[in-house]
Amino acid sequence: MELLCLEMDTIIRARPDPNLLYDDRVLQSLLTIEERFLPQCSYFKCVQKDIQPFMRRMVATWMLEVCEEQKCEEEVFPLAMNYLDRFLAVVPTRKCNLQLLGAVCMFLASKLKETRPLTAEKLCIYTDNSIRPQELLEWELVVLGKLKWNLAAVTPNDFIEHIMRKLPLPEDKLDLIRKHVQTFIALCATDFNFAMYPPSMIATGSVAAAICGLQLNSTNRSLWGDNLTELLAKITNTEVDVLKACQEQIERVLMNNLREGRRQQQKQQQQEQGGPRSKALDDQDQSSTPTDVRDINL
Amino acid sequence: MTAQSRRRVRQDKLQVMAAHRRILRALGNGPARRNLFGPVDREQLQTEYRDALRKDLEDASRRWSFDFVSEKPLEGGDFQWEGVSGVRVPVLYRSCQDGEHPMQRAKEPSSDTQKEEIPRTPERFGSVPQDIEKTPEKRSELKRKQTNITDFYQAKKRLVATPRKSGQ
Repeated sequence: MELLCLEMDTIIRARPDPNLLYDDRVLQSLLTIEERFLPQCSYFKCVQKDIQPFMRRMVATWMLEVCEEQKCEEEVFPLAMNYLDRFLAVVPTRKCNLQLLGAVCMFLASKLKETRPLTAEKLCIYTDNSIRPQELLEWELVVLGKLKWNLAAVTPNDFIEHIMRKLPLPEDKLDLIRKHVQTFIALCATDFNFAMYPPSMIATGSVAAAICGLQLNSTNRSLWGDNLTELLAKITNTEVDVLKACQEQIERVLMNNLREGRRQQQKQQQQEQGGPRSKALDDQDQSSTPTDVRDINL
Repeated sequence: MTAQSRRRVRQDKLQVMAAHRRILRALGNGPARRNLFGPVDREQLQTEYRDALRKDLEDASRRWSFDFVSEKPLEGGDFQWEGVSGVRVPVLYRSCQDGEHPMQRAKEPSSDTQKEEIPRTPERFGSVPQDIEKTPEKRSELKRKQTNITDFYQAKKRLVATPRKSGQ
């Protein structure tokens, strides 16, 4: 008899649980408790003196890159940002400790959500060894105390499946939509303007932006502009106007990011080629710009 | 699934990857391994860490009207603490000072080598046998160093006008 070992060094994950995803009580509970995990105040106005909104963006960007590079579960980054915001809403923090805080928050979020969490050593390397594992472990305790050990926060990601299953979406596009929604959620987490929004609103706005962006609304009447917004608003008990505003805000942030990305890309290319823009670069630019639009389909 | 729709799905996937990368590239600047805000002041960090823990402890003392350093109840809080004898608490919470497990005590590291506030790392539990769940005696080895308030005192809540939730 031939014995076959199919065990591989891959991460075993549970299948989506229909008992959790197809039960409306779960969605209602999420909506009820989500406010408890919002930061207590808009902390740049009332708590922080040394750090500025652009610094939050810097540390958020770095955290997202680390999570991407380490292939963390999708919800690790938004959850870590929730810890970071809740900590900053109560503890005045100095600029030079902000990266340490970011690392601690990823450390905690990863432990909560992953079967193989990020290690302290790895996170310290990502800070270019500006912090030591011992310090990370010490501050883990401080952060836990300030969060009152309430780590199982509701994130926008918790709502994705609950919202999507109630929409008449084409089966073959589900993965694509999901991925776009996750990307928008991550994008929102990097932007402080979204920090005080309830997670359900960010999720709903991201789904709306993804569907409009992918132009799925051209095929199905019930997914047309206002129909879609009304449908979505009903699912998460959001007000239609608020939801629309949120969607537009997400689309604006996305546009700005894409524009900024293109600018950086050009700068990089110019630096690499060490001179004025060449014809080749222009061609490349022209070919890459329309791809953007189709990629995102705004 | 037809070949055409399969191709379309693959194309979609590629598009998503491209979109995802593009957005991330827009956010990122250079390698992920980087120091964002300059050098960390180690001494100050250490001081702040100790201060933060001390403050947490003080808050907890106020919250529970119990001095956790001297392990004595405080007067005038929401709680009234009453001592109970060790035999009345579950074996899990009993300390081993009554000589119940002299062999286990011999393995115990001298208490002054470990500072109380250092967080426990998994290595510390490395020597714990795998079958710790079998008998309460072995479980008590795990807990032995952490004497609990309930070893000595029983919590009784005094009635106050506004009820508070635990941890608030």
